Amino acid sequence: MGLTGTEADIINCVARLRMAKKDQIRRQVGFSLEYIGFLCRDLIRRCYLVFSEGHYFLAKDGIKALLAEETPKIDRKLLKEVAEEVARQISGELKRTVKGIKITVPMNIGIKKETGFETPPGERIKINTDFDFPIEDESLVLESNIDKIGIKIEKEKSDDMDKTVRLFKKMHKPGGNGLASDSQSHKKGRKR
Amino acid sequence: MTKTKDEKGIENLKGQIRKGKGVDIGTMFVKCAYKEGDEIVFRSQRNAFFEVEHTDFTKKILDNSKVKYIIKEDKLYVVGDEALQFANMFNKETRRPLSRGVISPSEKEALPMIELLIKSVVGEPTYKGEIVYFSVPGEPLDAEFNVLYHIKMVEGFLKTLGYTPKPINEGHAIILSELAEEDFTGIGLSFGGGMVNVCLSFMSVPIFKFSVAKSGDWIDQQVAMAVDETASRVSAIKESSLDLSKEGDLSKIESALSIYYNHLIEYVIENIKQEFAKARRLPRIANPISIILSGGTSLPKGFSGRFKQILDRLKLPIPVGSVRMASQPLRSVAKGALIAASADESKK
Repeated sequence: MGLTGTEADIINCVARLRMAKKDQIRRQVGFSLEYIGFLCRDLIRRCYLVFSEGHYFLAKDGIKALLAEETPKIDRKLLKEVAEEVARQISGELKRTVKGIKITVPMNIGIKKETGFETPPGERIKINTDFDFPIEDESLVLESNIDKIGIKIEKEKSDDMDKTVRLFKKMHKPGGNGLASDSQSHKKGRKR
Repeated sequence: MTKTKDEKGIENLKGQIRKGKGVDIGTMFVKCAYKEGDEIVFRSQRNAFFEVEHTDFTKKILDNSKVKYIIKEDKLYVVGDEALQFANMFNKETRRPLSRGVISPSEKEALPMIELLIKSVVGEPTYKGEIVYFSVPGEPLDAEFNVLYHIKMVEGFLKTLGYTPKPINEGHAIILSELAEEDFTGIGLSFGGGMVNVCLSFMSVPIFKFSVAKSGDWIDQQVAMAVDETASRVSAIKESSLDLSKEGDLSKIESALSIYYNHLIEYVIENIKQEFAKARRLPRIANPISIILSGGTSLPKGFSGRFKQILDRLKLPIPVGSVRMASQPLRSVAKGALIAASADESKK
């Protein structure tokens, strides 16, 4: 699940301050303390933040995930700085513990996006979904009193519906296979 | 008085546009709209069922109390609004043939149930091959599933009933029903039970459309978890008494509902912004566009105010004019589908 704008604001705020209290986040991001607390709890649950001794920190896994995703509104430069700091700290701790083992810290922690096979722009594969798929009426085996009791019926005056239909007909060419396919988008727009 | 060309055209259409139907197949309701004289008739059925003990006695009681039921083999299911009442009475959840806007993959009775509900609402075609437009969700941005199976199953079933079925995007249907005055240009938002559907349309042509798999049910589940209640009970409170414009003196459930409504609205607006950022070759829209809010989840008092408040803060990359509720938020999808069907029928 992606981040909402306020969630991204919270991440940026914590990244900027390195460690932040709920009230500090509230002052920078806005909203009530309760709502900020709620969002932070959710970010902890989703492993973006950790909470310790009254402060929120960026979680290592969270930084990694955020750098890998193209999350809008996230300050990636700031996150990379934090990631490098974290990596340096880890490296320092390891060096102290395991003497003689060299650990290098890459300066660019950006994670390469796995793209797989990419279709060149403008050559999107089109799959024909305009086929008939025969269905058996599985409801025939059911017994029901719905018809006996009747269905809820409401009515409203149609007022301008005829005019709307006429206008729609004029602007759009109905027919084809409905109005839900993407193939109809992006092509018929007229400039105002 | 001389008649305009448009008025003459409309008169010529009279009598023809009675053919055609529009069906809104939603997670919470199935609703069918058709025209009868100068009125639009809506037939609807709640999309939920609840299993009760199957005995002749129970069946008789339900018949006498005019409670709708469906029997399959040795199982007896109460359907419709009463299913919700039964679920609350037994402190359990209702079962639903649709989940997150499409045929539920985890509900084994989903297919026969939805078929029966559609059949009871849509009825028989006025003539063989009558055009029916049925609403379908946009591809979800935040879920792995694809909507093709759902579309093909509903389409196939409507064909067995003798219709010529055609799909229409839910958000687009709202635009057809509500934005004729603005040349069908604007954003239609349907806050349904399982999904929020979004469509940006320019001169009746969808520019982008998508859905997010979070909406009313998600709110109910999150609130239920937060306050240790059943989702059915939360849903009942949400539908009956929630007021999002209320600022103080909120109960525990109301506070949780308010928090999750905020979260959902923000989530939807951020996704719209993201789609604007991704969209290439957007048409030049000179005038501020209108946003129409619709669907059962948008019904609580104060919803449009809350939406405007969050939109003012997050801002879309295009100028927004009015943000308003659909004239009939529970009927606009079916009505929009009916407009498309009527237009198609009158071409024949």
